Amino acid sequence: MTARKKSHGPLLGRRQAATLAAGALVAGTLRSVQAADASTFVSGFALPMNLDPHQVYDVPMQSMMLNAYDNLYRYQNDPPQIVPWLAESHTVSDDGLLWEFKLRPGIKFHDGSPMTAEDVVYSFRRVLALGLAPAGAFLKILKPDNVTAPDPRTVRFKLETSYAPFFAAIPSISIVNPRLIEPNVKNGDWGKAWLASNGAGSGSYRIVSAGYRPLEYLDMEINEDHFLGWSHNPKPVKKIAYRPTKETSTRVLALLNGSLDCTDPNLPADQVEQINASKIAYVQKDVVMRTFVIRMNNTKPPFNNLNARLCFAHAFNYMGFIKDILGGYATRDPYPMPDNLWGIPKDVKGYDYDLKKAKEYYAKAVAEGAPMKRPLELHVQSENEQSVQGAQLFQADLAQIGINLKVVGNIWSNLTTAAAKPDTTPDMWVHWVSTYFVDPENWVGQMYDSQFHGTWKASSYYKNDQVDALLRKARAAVKQEERAPLYEEAIRKIMADSPDIWIYNSMQLQGLNKRVKGRRFCTVGQGAEIRWITLDS
Amino acid sequence: MLRFVVRRCLLVLPSLLGLLVITFLLIRVVPSDPAMAMAGDAATPEQIERLRQQYGLDRPIWEQFVSYAGKVATLDLGESAFSRRPVAVDIAQRLPATLTLTFCALAISVFVGVPLGVVAGLSHNAWPDYLLRVFSVMGIAVAAFWFAIMLQLLFSMELGWLPLRGELSPTIQRPPRVTGFMVADALIAGRLDVAADALRHLVLPAVTLSLGGLATIVRFTRAGVLDTMQQDFVFYERAMGYRRWRLNWIYVLRNSVTATVTQIGLLFGGLIAGGVVVEAIFDWPGIGSYTVQAILTGDRQVMLAVTLLIGVVYAAVNILTDLVHGVLDPRLMERG
Amino acid sequence: MSPILRKLSRDLPAMLGLAIVLFVLVIAIFGPMLAPYPEDAAASHLTRRLRPPSAAFPFGTDNLGRDIFSRVILGARGALSIALTVVSTAMLIGVPLGLIAGYRGGWLSEGIMRVTDVVLAIPQLILALALAQLMSPSLESAMLALSLTYWPYFTRIVYAETRRLSSSLFVDALRGIGAGSGRIVFLHILPNALSPVIVRATIGLGFTILVAAVLGFLGMGATPPAPDWGLAIAESRTYLPRAWWYATFPGLAILITVMGFNLLGDGLRDIVDPRIRRSR
Repeated sequence: MTARKKSHGPLLGRRQAATLAAGALVAGTLRSVQAADASTFVSGFALPMNLDPHQVYDVPMQSMMLNAYDNLYRYQNDPPQIVPWLAESHTVSDDGLLWEFKLRPGIKFHDGSPMTAEDVVYSFRRVLALGLAPAGAFLKILKPDNVTAPDPRTVRFKLETSYAPFFAAIPSISIVNPRLIEPNVKNGDWGKAWLASNGAGSGSYRIVSAGYRPLEYLDMEINEDHFLGWSHNPKPVKKIAYRPTKETSTRVLALLNGSLDCTDPNLPADQVEQINASKIAYVQKDVVMRTFVIRMNNTKPPFNNLNARLCFAHAFNYMGFIKDILGGYATRDPYPMPDNLWGIPKDVKGYDYDLKKAKEYYAKAVAEGAPMKRPLELHVQSENEQSVQGAQLFQADLAQIGINLKVVGNIWSNLTTAAAKPDTTPDMWVHWVSTYFVDPENWVGQMYDSQFHGTWKASSYYKNDQVDALLRKARAAVKQEERAPLYEEAIRKIMADSPDIWIYNSMQLQGLNKRVKGRRFCTVGQGAEIRWITLDS
Repeated sequence: MLRFVVRRCLLVLPSLLGLLVITFLLIRVVPSDPAMAMAGDAATPEQIERLRQQYGLDRPIWEQFVSYAGKVATLDLGESAFSRRPVAVDIAQRLPATLTLTFCALAISVFVGVPLGVVAGLSHNAWPDYLLRVFSVMGIAVAAFWFAIMLQLLFSMELGWLPLRGELSPTIQRPPRVTGFMVADALIAGRLDVAADALRHLVLPAVTLSLGGLATIVRFTRAGVLDTMQQDFVFYERAMGYRRWRLNWIYVLRNSVTATVTQIGLLFGGLIAGGVVVEAIFDWPGIGSYTVQAILTGDRQVMLAVTLLIGVVYAAVNILTDLVHGVLDPRLMERG
Repeated sequence: MSPILRKLSRDLPAMLGLAIVLFVLVIAIFGPMLAPYPEDAAASHLTRRLRPPSAAFPFGTDNLGRDIFSRVILGARGALSIALTVVSTAMLIGVPLGLIAGYRGGWLSEGIMRVTDVVLAIPQLILALALAQLMSPSLESAMLALSLTYWPYFTRIVYAETRRLSSSLFVDALRGIGAGSGRIVFLHILPNALSPVIVRATIGLGFTILVAAVLGFLGMGATPPAPDWGLAIAESRTYLPRAWWYATFPGLAILITVMGFNLLGDGLRDIVDPRIRRSR
């Protein structure tokens, strides 16, 4: 330090402070920057909006609840099968109204208390009372009083009407621990506020409440006493650190430098090459059941005209989109349902990209008075680059046949609100339909039966009485052999009417660190179950 | 002085009320239906209607406003539609992270920018001035996330010195929450390694966020210095022979910084809202990312609460700015 | 005119700024004639997606195979129009309000400054969202939102400077010789307060273009397929860091344009400020 007068004023103080800070940084840097640790899995999966599996049911929640909670039956393997989990078996009466599930013995929640059938009853009653997303499949067919526990290991469901998808939807309900929730109930809210930030499960991993900030981070640690045991996995993951990463570029970089063990399962196709070229990570491809569809509002002209709709169906460059924009990471699926699910009429061909045919249908539509020249809007989810790119591609092709399409950026919550009424629903919009449960009802049933008008899935406002009758019959029948032909017939009629444009079935792309071994993929949950994973150093 | 402060505080209240009204109306225009956002994707129209009644969303708008204003007065900011927690709790959890980032960015901007601006002003039209003018413009014009990615590529990927994202490494045990400020809590718990880890995570986001402010402060300080150097009293003082270094720093600074102080005040409030991009790139768990989430999910309660928060912060900073102006030039306080 | 130009010509950075601004203006006006692939404003060519810069495509191609060089040229128009519109509107509203509030004092002044505080506190994102819903998302709705949230910056600066200047010696002297308020404010105070206003305006040009980019990404501003520079940067995010050219060239365009405005603004400020004029 000089003896000069403090002509540098505060700067000198800053320099000292800066040196100290730099020293601290260097001291910390002696450890490696990558926080890779042999038993912590750092996950880039998106977090659900909150932690309560009875309030939220979407793809991020499916991934989280598979680890922290258990369900009566669970989807496993690829292609997905529904296997016993908490329950060891079940029976169903011939009329499909009475279902009984037999619980395994010796199951304990994370707080050590044993799980009984009463806890299962509590869980289902809670779902129905809250009446939120997970209750969607059950509200119309199940009354809370009709879920009972005749003995400590048996749960009985008495349905109002026969409903085949009931069993397919059973895995969507997580079993929660009433002994942790009840002390935290406020004003009869069923513990909504509390369970949104805490855990009350029995799953392979336990939520660490202090390690949770909504949508930012979540920590979980292993449950050594899980009912299935750990004998299948000698070196399981001890801690899960969910670190959802908002920017794609940061996420990819984090995978490449070892800070993340996996990206979320929606890796853009353009990032695949770089990751596969690295030494530390690779891209895993899996076929999921998730269709990509452009909806047309069948109540707004010109979409109320069949020839107009056929014109649009021939104007989308399906293979160009899949091959060039998605890098081939999707399968062309012209059906309103994933083509790897039962119920598809394999003899129906679907529509191809053919601008000549599109022009012919255009002419026919115009001759019938359809306003083909009116400026049309296609709403996309701005956050999702695939939907934006698809829309721009469509816009360019439609311009070639003289149709003026405007691409409008929008967000999911606005779109689902708008879809509640036919006049606020946009002309066209793009979305995916993911697997909430593995059954044609999840796609065709809820999209094209007119009783669902007002929900986003049915936002094309398609109405066909014959189709309605077929779908309702299929819903009520119990056996797949009876239901499949009904769905096939319904799909034939739907495709002939072309109410929407069905584009592809998704291939899931996920970046994984090469040390991640043992991962098992299932389309429900997107391969997020950590109990099978070992981290190989 | 005290009278001045009290008077300014009282005058702030009508502004906040005005802000509340405007924001409440603006958010009403947003079409996303909060009941639908809460009910979720698989909900039926009946479920949504039930929620609407439960939350009083079917009552006339002025009734909703009055009830909201009343709650705000008791610091009940409602419940977030997505996290299902009181908004006040969410904000209390996130605010320290944003404040830390904002203060660090501001500190960098000020303590690097003011000296650079003075240098530019004093060397008017010589090469330091030219260089600084050109580089300071880059600070404003470069897209924050492009710069952030460059920093990440260099310091995280190439050199491996600094972490890519987050507030803390995933494998480090979080210190018990005392103040909510990560570095402080780590020091209180005696964990120097955690404090160092938190500081390392702070570097890249703070530098990225400081860029716009740095450029602004350099330019305003330069302009202020140029103005002051040309004033008569400086001419006289130089004529009277005050030693050059004393002249440059203390006198020039005191009179040049009027506009700069105003800018700092404006910057502070802007940094909280503008940290949105930085918080997104680095996954900094603060108010910026909270706001974006709220917009994306149509969470009105959160949007309202965040707007109010920003309003209060602005008000506080403005009062502080006026105070500083008053200290620098006591004549202003007489009239105020 | 010519003394100003002569003074300006001695200031190298300012001349550089002027040159850049004129260059960008020319590109904005003659864009469609200069771009090698003008149809790439809307067309798409899937077979040449994400190609790095080459002779045929000097700036490479984007995610739909469009020539980035052409789109950068075509985007100049949108960038200039939004920047100039927003900043000039904000100045037209903010500067007079600041003058009145700073000179008058009393309740009028307090009232104006309180309104300024309120508007300052409204988050731009939320106002832009509301306007986008009201007027349907577009460049116009973004421009309106940005103008309405930007004028307070000018008001606060002008207010502070006006107050400082109103209590200075020369204003007292002017009042002493009987000059009217209007004369004092417009002929004497305004030119002195203009210096930070010009600096803020030139900074605002840059910020406007960047904020418009964020709005565009959230669907509240320029929409695809517009060749907007900010939108291009926002779209490029998922292809980084591999497709570096996608963000870099529009980013450079913004950088150079804003730099031009700022350098020119500095030069103008140096000229307009009467004190400097006197001493030079």
